[in-house]
Amino acid sequence: MSEGLDYKFLIDTFFVALSGVPIALAITIVALMVALPLGFILALSRINRFLVLHRFAQIYVSFVRGTPIIVQIFIVYSSIPLLLDSIVTKYNFEMNVYDVNPIWYAFIVFSFNTTAILIEVFRSALNTVSKGQLEAAQSVGLTNVQAFRRIIIPQTLVVALPNICTVTVNLIKATSLGYALSLQEITLRAKVAANVGYNYVEAYIDIFLVYLILCSLVEYIFKLYEKRLIKYKAVNA
Amino acid sequence: MEKYFDATYILQSIPMLLPFLKVTFMVACLSILFGTIIGFILAAAKLGKSKIARNLANGYITILRCTPSIVLLFLVYYGIPAIGNNLGMNLNDIDKAVFVIVTFSLQFGALMCEVIRSAYESIDKGQFEAAVSVGLSNIQAYGRIIFPQAFVVALPNFGNSLLALLQEGALAYTIGLIDIVGKANLIIASNYNAHALEIFLALSIIYWVISIAIEHFFLKLERAFSKGKQSLKAL
Repeated sequence: MSEGLDYKFLIDTFFVALSGVPIALAITIVALMVALPLGFILALSRINRFLVLHRFAQIYVSFVRGTPIIVQIFIVYSSIPLLLDSIVTKYNFEMNVYDVNPIWYAFIVFSFNTTAILIEVFRSALNTVSKGQLEAAQSVGLTNVQAFRRIIIPQTLVVALPNICTVTVNLIKATSLGYALSLQEITLRAKVAANVGYNYVEAYIDIFLVYLILCSLVEYIFKLYEKRLIKYKAVNA
Repeated sequence: MEKYFDATYILQSIPMLLPFLKVTFMVACLSILFGTIIGFILAAAKLGKSKIARNLANGYITILRCTPSIVLLFLVYYGIPAIGNNLGMNLNDIDKAVFVIVTFSLQFGALMCEVIRSAYESIDKGQFEAAVSVGLSNIQAYGRIIFPQAFVVALPNFGNSLLALLQEGALAYTIGLIDIVGKANLIIASNYNAHALEIFLALSIIYWVISIAIEHFFLKLERAFSKGKQSLKAL
């Protein structure tokens, strides 16, 4: 171990780690696709104090923000097989619940987690759009849907975008916890490669580099998109 | 047949888990202490005149922001003893908590730097000039005028960073530290992996309660400190 870094292993494992990127990205994209609309709707329910839904959203956000994501992963990973199992035995489906691809659990956990965080992001962003905007839109004859699609959502998005960028980066980082679901993503692949020769330092340097590149790229893309959206920004800000 | 889900396990395991909260808190407190010191140094570098220092601080923050804590944790856990080996030191026997504290101090430092910087920048420059013009020394101006105001601004962000740290700290079990999560895993292992769900639920309840308590504490603190604050509305 004292002879320094094994450079050949370092380079080989870098590509092993890189091969886990599609899975990490798949989880990120699915989680965002579920969480963006759901988070927006629940944020609206929070603002408009919509019956039971806003209480539910409040407790939901508090739970997700109050517990570590690894514990959420453990809970989902140990509860869903039990639920599925009881359903399968009740209705006599032909299915082995313990053969489910772990990526489904990852989709569930990360969507569940991201939705709660996006509720808060959208809530604070929606609060910055003044109520007069909606009233003005309605007074010129737009329907509610049109008013939201053309007036409210673009303005909300501009304000929320930096926070959405942070959420996305955090999500990519959190996919490294997929190892707890035995998911074949960046961290686990490199770690398995390191198990052969105990080259852990090299493996973790590779993982570190892959995440660094991935997250910097995502941040850069968001910056570009932010520039394009800036035209919706309120002038009097 | 035994029941799959038994809620009594939740209640039973909470008293077993609580003593290990001490380890979690000890690690968190030391990380906050060292992390805040790192944060002050970074913020000073970022606000200072030296261009090299500013770039170094920016680079540090970007790198830390893009690294998952679990990767950083293992990098520290395997990296520091390897570096020590090359320098002829044997660091394999030091306590695992040390690695955890180093990791989370590094991470908390990056968070705190932004908190401190934004709080400092929110204070109008005229405040400092006014303080100096009535005859306070530089140190007095910072100590009595700038710092108390910046502190109030920083408080909510500090609270959020603290909660984030507490939750990232749950990963310490991965290198074998027996904190509250580590103990939960031990209990499950000794039950032959039965009733894992109940024990994880107990764990989440403990974390949830702590988080809510910290959140309330910071809200109270904020209210107490912003008593004397004059906003533009008062004019």
